[in-house]
Amino acid sequence: MTANTLSQQSINSPLLRVSNLQTRFHTQDGVVHAVNGISYHLDSGEILGVVGESGCGKSVHALSIMRLIQIPPGEIADGEIWFEGRDLLKLSENEMRHLRGRDIAMVFQDPMTSLNPVFTVGFQICEALMLHMNMTRKQARERTIELLNLVGIPEPTKRIDNYPHQFSGGMRQRAMIAMALSCEPKLLIADEPTTALDVTIQAQIIDLVMKLQKEMGMSVMWITHDLGIVAEMVHKINVMYAGFIIEEGLVDDIYDETLHPYTKGLLGSLPSIDEAPGTKLVSIPGLPPDLIALPSGCPFYARCTYRQDHCREERPVLETVNANGHAVACWRWREI
Amino acid sequence: MTEIISEDQLLTEFAVREHRSLWLDAWRRLISNRTAILGLVIVAIFLLTAIGAHFFWEYDPTVDLDYNAKLLAPTFVRSEESDQLHIFGTDKLGRDIFRRVVHGGWNSLRVGIIAVSISLSIGGILGLLAGFFESTHLNGVEQAVLTSLLGLGCGALPAWIANQPFQALLFMLLGLGSALFSTFMAQSPYLRKVLFGVIGMAIGGLLGLLVAPLVGLVCAVVGLGIGIILAKPISGKAFSSFTMRVMDIILSFPSYLLAIAIVAFLGPGLEKGMLAIGFVGIPVYARLARSAVLSVSQKEYVLASQSIGESHGRILFRHIVPNILSPIIVQATMGLADAILSAAALGFLGLGAVPPIPEWGAMLGDSYKYLSSGAWWAVLFPGLAIMFSVLGFNLLGDGLRDALDPKMRL
Repeated sequence: MTANTLSQQSINSPLLRVSNLQTRFHTQDGVVHAVNGISYHLDSGEILGVVGESGCGKSVHALSIMRLIQIPPGEIADGEIWFEGRDLLKLSENEMRHLRGRDIAMVFQDPMTSLNPVFTVGFQICEALMLHMNMTRKQARERTIELLNLVGIPEPTKRIDNYPHQFSGGMRQRAMIAMALSCEPKLLIADEPTTALDVTIQAQIIDLVMKLQKEMGMSVMWITHDLGIVAEMVHKINVMYAGFIIEEGLVDDIYDETLHPYTKGLLGSLPSIDEAPGTKLVSIPGLPPDLIALPSGCPFYARCTYRQDHCREERPVLETVNANGHAVACWRWREI
Repeated sequence: MTEIISEDQLLTEFAVREHRSLWLDAWRRLISNRTAILGLVIVAIFLLTAIGAHFFWEYDPTVDLDYNAKLLAPTFVRSEESDQLHIFGTDKLGRDIFRRVVHGGWNSLRVGIIAVSISLSIGGILGLLAGFFESTHLNGVEQAVLTSLLGLGCGALPAWIANQPFQALLFMLLGLGSALFSTFMAQSPYLRKVLFGVIGMAIGGLLGLLVAPLVGLVCAVVGLGIGIILAKPISGKAFSSFTMRVMDIILSFPSYLLAIAIVAFLGPGLEKGMLAIGFVGIPVYARLARSAVLSVSQKEYVLASQSIGESHGRILFRHIVPNILSPIIVQATMGLADAILSAAALGFLGLGAVPPIPEWGAMLGDSYKYLSSGAWWAVLFPGLAIMFSVLGFNLLGDGLRDALDPKMRL
């Protein structure tokens, strides 16, 4: 690639562009194909929701972007992850380390274990600041108090010296968000940050992230299995299934013009408050396919009510449906 | 948003607890446990008397001899025959047993502490590295360190055969070179193996020849093997399994037998006893540290610290080490009791302290023959000293385990 095209790319290219990312794990039972050639892009300031059920490669794909997959047994077999004009997969471990936390930050699912129990919460946030922002301990401490205040932890001057076990689950997740935002990253990856919390705290955390996103103008990738959560907060949605993106598009397109049978199933399985008492919850029958022995056809074939023989034989590829980038990987989307 | 904060502020009045550190918490739990206090008191008494006696109560065992006062029973009142009070009696050479037990404490505890320090530092570091790098991709520096360590460890064998310690250092340098020039001849791994094998053979063979032709031959063969092993810079997984298999080999010997064999090889003496007991204890700490690191590194906070871009060294020493300290502290305290017992056993067999240096095990060994003539005090008091010191460390270790157990934390 010449210097000219490179600079051009960095001007009008999205913040993050993933192309044909493939992540595998070599286990004793065989090769687990966790992420199977996904491609998408994320512009700066955009919020992307990644949805799908457990074990469909959502978290693994996020960890691949951060290059936090354990190698071995993991392996990023193919693909490119362009972030601000650089391919993350080609960076050295050292360059990657400087990028983590400063440019891309991550919030994890379980706030109970993501803080180190032997250090104070403040110390752990200060650490990131001193690491990336070259702050002195005193500056870092002041900034940490600001951050704790920002994420809505009351009395931050006292709380900064608390240990994680003195925090409630919601407060810990707030502290994790403060840590992730400490260096004002350009991209925040939130890996099911509200799954382990109860509903009221969930709403607070979502509000908080939305507010901070607006203030800081960063991009957010919100990984969840809860379509209800993402509906109101994201701009775009990627629906993942068995390591593939099977439908992607703007949030209104996904909800109003649902095309893929799996997405339909996911939306159909959301309980509604208007339903008569005693109505059974709808579910998608069956389980996701074994990622060790992926079917050669459509990965959703076994659970699909619209299936045809053709679906089993050939794997559908993402097909753009409208000008807004709504795309679906299904042979029969026109008919159903 | 403002509403949420004000709600939380309402809660803080009773939600914020008094600030307490983890170790202070553990200390409070420890001193609220009666048996742990007993252990602590026993250990403190032994340590204080031993240190006090060593520095403030002069005793020269080489001149302590009084044939007029042989095997005197304990007396608590001054009598006409002897102007000296022997509250623990005297031994076969007329030496005051109380004095020797107190001074023997200095030697016995010293052996215990130094032996445990040896096993803890070597075993702990090996276990730490093995556990951490088992599932971590090595960077250049780490690869250099681990491959040098492997070279040093392997080089110890020819160094021992030829009795030339610097051979081990040369093999360490060979390992370092292999890691630093890992791309050199990387296309032809076979040739690279030959090259390193020849260098290893030269190191072992030439230096061994200085000692004797046969030694040179043996060292050349061993050196060839080491060179071939070192040709490929080690991966974390390989380092871990290599270290752990060596630990398994050491563990497969009965520990007392191995310690006795090492002392028999090195010759008797307090320092050699320390080395032997320390060496035998290495695998315990290595395995403990490795398993603790393996379980801690699965925790999400380690992933979180990686995700904010911390280096391996920082993650290992800032996040992992403090979290594995408690099992290691407990094991070290229990290990002290074990080491004191081992030291006494070596002393009893005449392989530890060289007479006339006072040491509890050696005192037992000196005096058990006089049991039949009724001199029970010469055996009882050193025996009690061993028993109580071991009991004290064990009780303290138990108490520490309860105090440091995170499940006990409120």
